Amino acid sequence: MTTSTLTDRYVWAAARSLPEAQRDEFGRELRERIGDVIDAHVERGAAPADAEHSALVELGDPLRLAASYVDRPLQLIGPKYFLTWWRLLKLLVAIVVPLAAAGVLLGQVASGADVGGIIGTTISTALAVFVNLCFWVTLVFAVLERSPGTAVPASTWTPEQLPQPRDDARAGRLGDLIASLVFLGVFAVAIVWQQFGVVWIGGERQPIPVLDPALWSFWIPYFLALIALEAVFAIVIYLRGWNWTMAGLNVLLNAAFTIPAVWLFVSGQLLAPEFVEAIGWPWGEASDVTVAVLLIAVIGVAVWDVVDGFIKAARNRGGSALGGY
Amino acid sequence: MNVDETTAGHIQELRRGTVVLACLVRLRHPDYGYALLESLNGLGILVDANTLYPLLRRLEKQGLLSSEWNTEEARPRKFYRTSPAGDRLAAALMTDWRRIDAALARLDTGEER
Repeated sequence: MTTSTLTDRYVWAAARSLPEAQRDEFGRELRERIGDVIDAHVERGAAPADAEHSALVELGDPLRLAASYVDRPLQLIGPKYFLTWWRLLKLLVAIVVPLAAAGVLLGQVASGADVGGIIGTTISTALAVFVNLCFWVTLVFAVLERSPGTAVPASTWTPEQLPQPRDDARAGRLGDLIASLVFLGVFAVAIVWQQFGVVWIGGERQPIPVLDPALWSFWIPYFLALIALEAVFAIVIYLRGWNWTMAGLNVLLNAAFTIPAVWLFVSGQLLAPEFVEAIGWPWGEASDVTVAVLLIAVIGVAVWDVVDGFIKAARNRGGSALGGY
Repeated sequence: MNVDETTAGHIQELRRGTVVLACLVRLRHPDYGYALLESLNGLGILVDANTLYPLLRRLEKQGLLSSEWNTEEARPRKFYRTSPAGDRLAAALMTDWRRIDAALARLDTGEER
């Protein structure tokens, strides 16, 4: 190995990572620098070959050196785009992954797959969607980071994105309170009203209840009491805001409602036999899909409500990972 | 991060802009990278080669330095010289440097709090 080869190899290794137009000039500059460092080592009494070797050790990894010459970022996504990337990724994961999972779940249920298969396929699809989402979003930002003079604004932040401070939050919760009370009221009225018939046949209202009248002995009063509790809960939330205890209570309330409702529905005790007959159930092929959609809607609303409670509790604590921006 | 690292980090931040100023002033007389490095370090303006060489390139790109290859000696060397724009920047930086120095001195002696 001759003396010049080592320097040549170093210069080549460093220059090839640069755009072609810059390579010649960069190579000459680097040669000058290496030569001067070697001279300095020789002046201090080193043999020329050793001097070259130690000069190159001093310069370090040629790729890192080249990156420092052209301000090439050695991180995947730098500070300029980090926040935009992070916010977009969180938003997309929160929206796309549950939607994809629900879609696959629905399709599996409709095609009559067994429970193990349904769970396995749903989880693996959700994972695949998550990984793909992360990869492609990150790739786009990594390319952006390396594109010179891009017209994309570095940050799309506006003051409107500022979170509500805790003390002013009550006004913001008023909307939630009204929505909750109206929903609960409509729900309670519907439970009572269905007893007098909501099925019209040929323009005539039929005296057919939707829910099995046998449920009046316990379950319908139970659900009405739960609705009253939910209303109280909504008022307390309006007054005091979310915290971990309230989020925990929210889980219990949702479970107390959803689990019996789903159980009664699945075991065929929920609906009145006359009602089932009047609507012409079962609907052949569409039956399973209809049942699946109903179940997913009911369970999905409950899960969403539980998650929402925890997110709001986390936000109120100020600056948790769940709180986002 | 221990105390020494913290100190080193702050000192590095404090010095960062002063290296630019030192280069612009020093290169009113043309010189090449290694000689500049030696002379700055000899003056007590401590700068690392891995900082200085990329900096020269950047300042040239910004039009604050001009350059010329000298091929008369055994090895070709790139000589940098402060451009008129670089001179104006150096004057502005020097004014600011002195203003900050005076302000810090007043703070330090307790004249102003």
